Formats: sequence, C-alpha cells, structure tokens
Amino acid sequence: MRTARLLPVALVVLLVMALLPFGVGGYVLGLLTLAYYYGVFAMAWDLLFGFAGEVNFGPSFLVGLGAYAAALLNHYYSWPIWACLVAGSAAAVVGGVVLAVPALRLHGPYFGLVTLVAVLLLQNVIVLFAGVTGGEIGLDIPDVLSISDRVNYWYALGFMVISGAVLFGLARSPVGLILQASGQDAVEASALGFNVAKHKLAAFCISAFFSGLAGAMLIFYLGTASVGTVVDIGVGVQVIIAAVLGGRRTILGGAIGAIFLIVAGEMLRDLGQLSTFVVSAIALVVILFFPGGLLGSLLRTEGRQ
Amino acid sequence: MVGLQILIDGFAISSLYALGAIGFTLIFGVSGVLNLSHGSIMVAAAITAWLAAGDYGAGSLGGALAGVAASVVLSFATYLLVVRPIQSSRAIPGEEKEIFVLTGTLLWGIMLQEAMAYFFTNSPKTVRPLIAGVVNIMGVRTPANEIVTAVLSWVAIGLLWLLVNRTRAGKALLAASINPRGLTLLGFELANIHLLVWAIYGVLAGIAGVLLGSFLGVSSDNVGTLTASAFSIVVLGGLGSVSGSLLAAYVVGYLETMTAYLVSPSIRTVPVLLLLVLVIYLRPQGLLGRR
Amino acid sequence: MKHAYLYSLFGAALGAALCLPATARAAEPIKIGVIAEAAALGGSAIPNAAKLAAEEINAAGGVNGRMIEIVEYDDHSSASDAVRAFQRAANQDKVHAVIASYISEVVLALEPWAGRLKLPLITPGAASDLITKRVHDDYNNLKYVFHGYLASTQISDAVCESGKDLLIGQMKAKTAVVVSEDAAWTIPLDEEYLKCLPKIGVKVLDHIRLSPDTTDFTPIFNKIEGIKPDVMVTGISHVGAQPTVQWQQQQVPIPMFGVSSQATTSTFWKDTNGAAEGVVFNMFSAPDVAVTPKTIPFARAYEKKYGVTPAYSGYTAYDDVYMFADAIKRGGSSEPDKLVDAMEKTDWVGTIGRIQFLGKDDQFTHGMKIGPGFITGLMVQWQSGKQVTVWPAEAASGQMKFPSFIKTVN
Repeated sequence: MRTARLLPVALVVLLVMALLPFGVGGYVLGLLTLAYYYGVFAMAWDLLFGFAGEVNFGPSFLVGLGAYAAALLNHYYSWPIWACLVAGSAAAVVGGVVLAVPALRLHGPYFGLVTLVAVLLLQNVIVLFAGVTGGEIGLDIPDVLSISDRVNYWYALGFMVISGAVLFGLARSPVGLILQASGQDAVEASALGFNVAKHKLAAFCISAFFSGLAGAMLIFYLGTASVGTVVDIGVGVQVIIAAVLGGRRTILGGAIGAIFLIVAGEMLRDLGQLSTFVVSAIALVVILFFPGGLLGSLLRTEGRQ
Repeated sequence: MVGLQILIDGFAISSLYALGAIGFTLIFGVSGVLNLSHGSIMVAAAITAWLAAGDYGAGSLGGALAGVAASVVLSFATYLLVVRPIQSSRAIPGEEKEIFVLTGTLLWGIMLQEAMAYFFTNSPKTVRPLIAGVVNIMGVRTPANEIVTAVLSWVAIGLLWLLVNRTRAGKALLAASINPRGLTLLGFELANIHLLVWAIYGVLAGIAGVLLGSFLGVSSDNVGTLTASAFSIVVLGGLGSVSGSLLAAYVVGYLETMTAYLVSPSIRTVPVLLLLVLVIYLRPQGLLGRR
Repeated sequence: MKHAYLYSLFGAALGAALCLPATARAAEPIKIGVIAEAAALGGSAIPNAAKLAAEEINAAGGVNGRMIEIVEYDDHSSASDAVRAFQRAANQDKVHAVIASYISEVVLALEPWAGRLKLPLITPGAASDLITKRVHDDYNNLKYVFHGYLASTQISDAVCESGKDLLIGQMKAKTAVVVSEDAAWTIPLDEEYLKCLPKIGVKVLDHIRLSPDTTDFTPIFNKIEGIKPDVMVTGISHVGAQPTVQWQQQQVPIPMFGVSSQATTSTFWKDTNGAAEGVVFNMFSAPDVAVTPKTIPFARAYEKKYGVTPAYSGYTAYDDVYMFADAIKRGGSSEPDKLVDAMEKTDWVGTIGRIQFLGKDDQFTHGMKIGPGFITGLMVQWQSGKQVTVWPAEAASGQMKFPSFIKTVN
C-alpha cells in the first residue's frame, strides 16, 4: 500500500533527476554522479545487512576488487570498457564468494571483523605490489566513460536506477522475505525448511556484483583508481553511514543517504575542514533520534496518515 | 642481539596494546558494546597531555594527568551522549542495537578526530617523556621512556586486577561481565556498574594514549589504526575476556615486532591479519574466549 | 522635484557602476582556486600564502585593474576530493587558474583533469618527476600543468651538491644509508640519490623504504645502526615527525640529512618537543636567508599574519600567485591558452630564486630551471629551536652542530 502510494512520487522525482542536466551546472552534476555511485554501494550493502542481517564492515573490499580488476585490465591490456566492467563485477563476485563461504559461518562482530580484515589485506596487497598496482599513487585509466558532465551523469543515474530497481525487487520478492526471516532468526527460518546459508550466499553474491560493477564504473568516471577512492576503510565507513542514515531495510534509503551525505558535505564546504565534523554530527543525530533513517521516518509518517 | 632487542621492544609495544585493549574488552563484557571511538579517545588523551605539558607548562606529570582526565570525560560523554541513548531507545529493535552502537560510536569518533585535526592539525604530536635518556640493557640501548611505558602499563593492569578482585564494586563488575541479568536479580544497579566500567575504560584508554604519545607520538590520522588494532586484539583474545586480551596483545605485539625486525617493517601488520582470519575461522571464540 | 533630482543622481551613480566593468570588462576579478588540506602543515601554508600574495597585489591596484580573488577548497589530501574540488573550480566557480596540493598522488590525479577542462594548474609542493614527464609526453593535452616545485630528481641533486661540502668536507662521511618513505615522490628521489651520492664520494650501503603508515621506527633504526653508515640520507614527508622523535629518544648515533618536509615548518620544534635538534634538511628558501630580496619580507609578513613561519609550500604558493598575476598582465588575458603561453615565458624573481619554466623539449617540461642564478637550494639545521641555514657558505647563518649522542668523525 505505502509503496503503491509512493510510486507516483518516485516517478516524478526520477523525471526531475533525469532532466536535471538541462537546469544545473556541470559541477552539481559531477557531484551527483559521484553520489549515485555511492548510492549503489550503499544499496548493495543494505541488501546484505538489512535483509540478510550481516554487518559487512568491508563494502570497500568488494568495491575495490571490482575497481582494481577493471583498472588493471584497462591499463595493461587496453580491454574495452564494457569488458573491464564485466571482468570487474566478476572479480568482485569471486572475491565475495571466497570471503563469504567461510565467513557466513560467523556472526555479529566476528563476521564484521573478517570483512574488515579483508579490506586491510587488500589494501596491503595493493601497496606491496606497487609496481603493478601503482601503490599509493594509484593507477591512471586510459579510457574514461565520457568527458561530458551530462553523459556521465546519465550513465550514473541510469545505473543507479536499474540497480535500485533490481535490488528493491529482490528484497520484496519471496527470496528477500526468506533472507529477512533468516537474518532475524536463522534457526526458525531453517526450521521452516529454508536453506539459510544458500540464500545468504546468494545475497552476498548479488551485493558483490553491484558493488564491483559500481566500483568499476566509478573509476572509469574518475579516470584513476587509487586506494583512497575505492578501497580505504573511510570509503566503507561512508557507505555504511549512508545506508543507516537513509534507512536500513529500505534499499532505496541507501541511495538517499549517499546523496544526502555528498550534497550536505558540499553545502557546508564554506566551513572548510569542519564540514566533515558537521556532517557526522548530523548523521549521529539522525540515527539517535530517527533510527529509521531518512526514508524510514518518511515511510512511517506516510503510513500513519 | 636482535633477539634481545625484539624481546625488549616487543614487550613495551605489547604492554601498551594490552592496556588499550583491556578497557575495550571490559566494556564489551559488561554491556556488549564495541566502542569504535576508542582510537579518538586515546589520541585526545595524548594531545591534551601534549598541550598541557607544553603550552600550559603543567610539566610531564601534570600533562599526563590532564590527558587521563580528558579521556575519562570523553569516555563518559561517549556513554551518556551516544551509547546509552541507543541502548534505551525504543525505536531501535534489540537485535539491531549492535549496528547502531557501532555506527554511532564510529560517527562520534570521526567528530572527535575532525575536531582535533581542526584545532591541532593532523601532524603527529609527541608527549614529553616522564623520564628522558637511555638505559643500556645488556648491549641494547633502550630509551628510559620505553621502560617507563612498560612498567606503567603493568602498574595500571595490576591496579585493575586489585580493583576487580578485591573490592565489592569490582566483583560486581566481574559478575556483570559474566551474567548481567543475574546481577540485577541480586539487587545491583546495573546503571552504576555501567558508569563504573566506562570510568575504568576512560582511565585505561587515557593512560594508554598518553604513553603511546610519549613512546611513538600520535596524530589524529592514527585514530582508525588504533581502533582497528584494539578490535583485532579483543576478538583474537576472545570477546569480553580480559586475560584473553592480555595474551592476544602480546601475541600481536611480538608478531608485529618480529615481522618488522626479521622480515620487513613495511609488512608489519600482515601476519597479524592472517593470524586473525585463521583464528576466527578455526576458533571463533578467540584464544581464551568462552562461548 | 527633489526626489527626481535624487533619482537622477542615483541613476547616474548606478550607470557609472554598471559602466565600470564595461570600460574594459577587465574589472572582473581574477579567480585563483587553491586546493589543499587545511589540517596538514604543508597544506595550510598554501592557501595562507596565496591569500597574502593576493592581498599585496590587490593593495597595489591589482592586475590591469582586476582584483585577485582566492577561492579555497579543502581536499583532505584525498585524490577524489581534489578531483571534485577541481571540477567545481572549473565549472561552477569559473576560476582562471588553480594552485593545488603538495602531495604528488593528488596532483597526478588532477593532471588529466587540467587537460580535459583546460584549466591552468600549478603545484607548489608536489615533487614527483612524473608530473613534468607527463606534460613532456603529452604536451598538447597537458600543457596546462606547471610544476611550481622541484622534481624529486632535482631535489636529490641539490642534496648531493650540498653533500660535497657538508657530508664530505665537514662530516667526513664516507658511507650512507638512504631512508625514504614509500610514496610517489620518493621513487625518482631514491633513484637519483643512489646515483649522485657515489658521485660525490659517499658509498650507499643500503636503501630502505618504509611504509608511510609506520609508527614504530625502532626496528628500522636498529637495522640501520647494524649497517654502521656515517649518515642517514632521508626522503621523508608524510610519515611526519615520528621518525625524528624516535631517533632522538632512542639516541640513534647517526645524523639525519636530506629531505624532511615537516622539518621545514616552524611548529616542528614544538610538535617534536625539541627532538628536531640537529636534523639537517633541504629547503629552497628559509626565513633567515635572503635567497632573493623577497624572501625575508615574505617570511616576516607571513609570520606576522599567521603566527608561524611558512612551510616550504608557502614560499612557492606565494610565488605562484605572483607568477599567474604576472603572466596575465603580460599576456593581457586570463584565457587558458593565452595564460599558458604567457606562463611559459615567465622570468620571475620569487622568494625561492629566479624562476623560469623549461620548454616542451626538456625532460622536465614546465618544471623550473635549477642551477646558479636560478634556484639552488639550501641546507638548514634545527639548532636550539631555530632553523639555521648551514649551506651554501655565502648564505649560511651558522655551522652544523649535532647533539651529543651523534657520533661524527669531527
């Protein structure tokens, strides 16, 4: 019901977003382009957390795998962009499975720590093999998606909308409900005859696929792949904050949270250094007082009326 | 020669790790909270000590006390402003409190980190050592400050042991970490226990921060690494287990030091990370954890 | 009637105001974007010094009547934040030129964007040789990039040049270990150290690269001590003050000599509680040396305004604003291509020496010319809380001296 009521609103918002390039400057577009990719990271993370109940501290492990696989292939073997994107998402899925198969036996902080360690190890590998990966400098990418702000914007928007639709649909499907059930009470879910492990693994793969693809697209937008942009723990922290801020278990909240974080950071740019402080403070207030997040609170007030 | 060097250096570093991790694990034991603003609190203690000793002429000891005081204040602030509101919130379902506490303390930590970078820049600060100079231990030139670091860490750990085992409040604390619900049945006010554990945590993290600041120097950029290493040590030792954390701190400290001396300083943390993954898979309850 | 009179007066004033820009459309301000991390010492000196330069130029009437406006961006030393800031500077704030960062990684990420968005870019502090090499290899696209600091190779050469006198002459050093942090700027630096040190007669016993995340330097110093060199030749910047502090606390008996970026700032003494005593480091200008007639007045004005002496990147950022202003004045335009043309013809005496940019056939395209009469470099040592210039002899304000735990031959 609530979803149905929101549908027209969502369509209008989408239309405005699609037409935005005719109304605003290139800089705002660049900003939103970045926000949309982060939105996909956050939505993919929410599928794992909000629905499968697993706190993945290392979203940037999956993002980084996708990004670096694509970057290396483009840099050294000049693969065309589409092939790099395919390879990047495949690498993220493979990495995700390698991480998830043993890790899914673990719960809570243990699972969290393993995913955190995965990021740290990936970061170490990239820095240690600086000769190949470019190390701390990063790797420059010969091909970029486009140098036009508008085209880049539409790519990112389209990608976010498609990813959002797939993830959202999945979360609302029977599979999503099983995931949700197993996230809340794994014992009961398996007692009902569902293969919890298999569903969680599937969720991990899907999350990895979108994270990796988004990571790969992001570097073809930025023109460089570096630890600081796609692997660093700070990137993962941003993703988690975006998802929780936007509203966990809503999928779409992740996108809203990511856009909010980046736009707020920019509006507060005049504060200079302090902008990060203020954005964190706002996010903290939101999770303390509106734990449903931006979208969660919105949906609830809608529901009450 | 190198062997002795590793023994001495590893000991100092490990003692510091232990001190930092014990407070962290106590809080988890008593209230199930993983405090991700840990690194920020340690660095804040060090910067306060540096500031008080330098700009305000409080001297080494005065500075150190000021640093520990700052850490206690921040520890209470973390609990009262961030952790307790989340724990008592009705809007957050029980099984999700954990992620909210993690995100909340993380954000709080980032705020502290940014504030420190804003006022004091992110360049590393060194707290003036309590005792300057070097001591020769069987041919190994050891800074007196390194010995002070190890000794003070153990004094603090010893005092904690006395507190926990010899006082009523301490025993209640120990009991709370084993079974919080049973304790309330016995008529203890759990809220007071929580305040006590955060106070202990503040003192321990403060001492660890000040000592780290005088031993290696700290900057607001180290916050993430410090939190991650406390987190790793605590999980390695077994969440909530104090003796496990002690053991794990020495395993981590020595493994790092040995790697740095015998292999290469640039892969210092890698073996620890691998060990951590291995232990989590094979023995998720950690070295001395109970399940 | 009275009102009508007032209105006409107002109208005239308004008309005059509107006409003013029209007189040559030249009163439109010249906007210079400054991208750097405000929380870092090397970073905050960049906007500070740029603002100082802009104020001076504006107080003297601006450039052809146009005022200079500095637009600041904080990149938190992150490449993606810097790229975003650069895009904003180009597309939204419409700046005419950008002065960016002291970190090679960040500048290398910005470089292709300077080409794509055709926005002149200069870095006052990054040192990687790749910056100018890329301009050399892809001149048509990347000609918008200028290197306002020396390339790492040139810095090594400057250190070796001073070594003839200081290492060989005064310290009687015969052997060295090269210690550098693992970063973009030290790759060519180390390569050149390994070549130029033997040339001046110092044998390199080992070459150690340390991770920028290192916090405990004990094992490294221990290893170096085992090798028994006469001197450590350094290439450290991002690792900060910690190696210096631990060097002093552990009383490592080997002098530190070379590049130590944080040592160039005046707060370094306080941050290290005086552990900096005896550290010898390279700089291209120092607050106590009249490298050019502009150096000391700038350092004084900066200290008066901000309470500290400028970090190395402050001197160059100050010069960069003047050079852009000068180029716009000479070329008569702030259009990107004309500005680049005029910048290439720069011949400017700044705070670090006489600056000319090398041409597109040179190995360091758009890098600065070094050598006598242009930029030479100084060696400076921390002594009792002061930066004392110890080389070259004609600029020196003191002699090298080391704390008692250091064993030197003399």
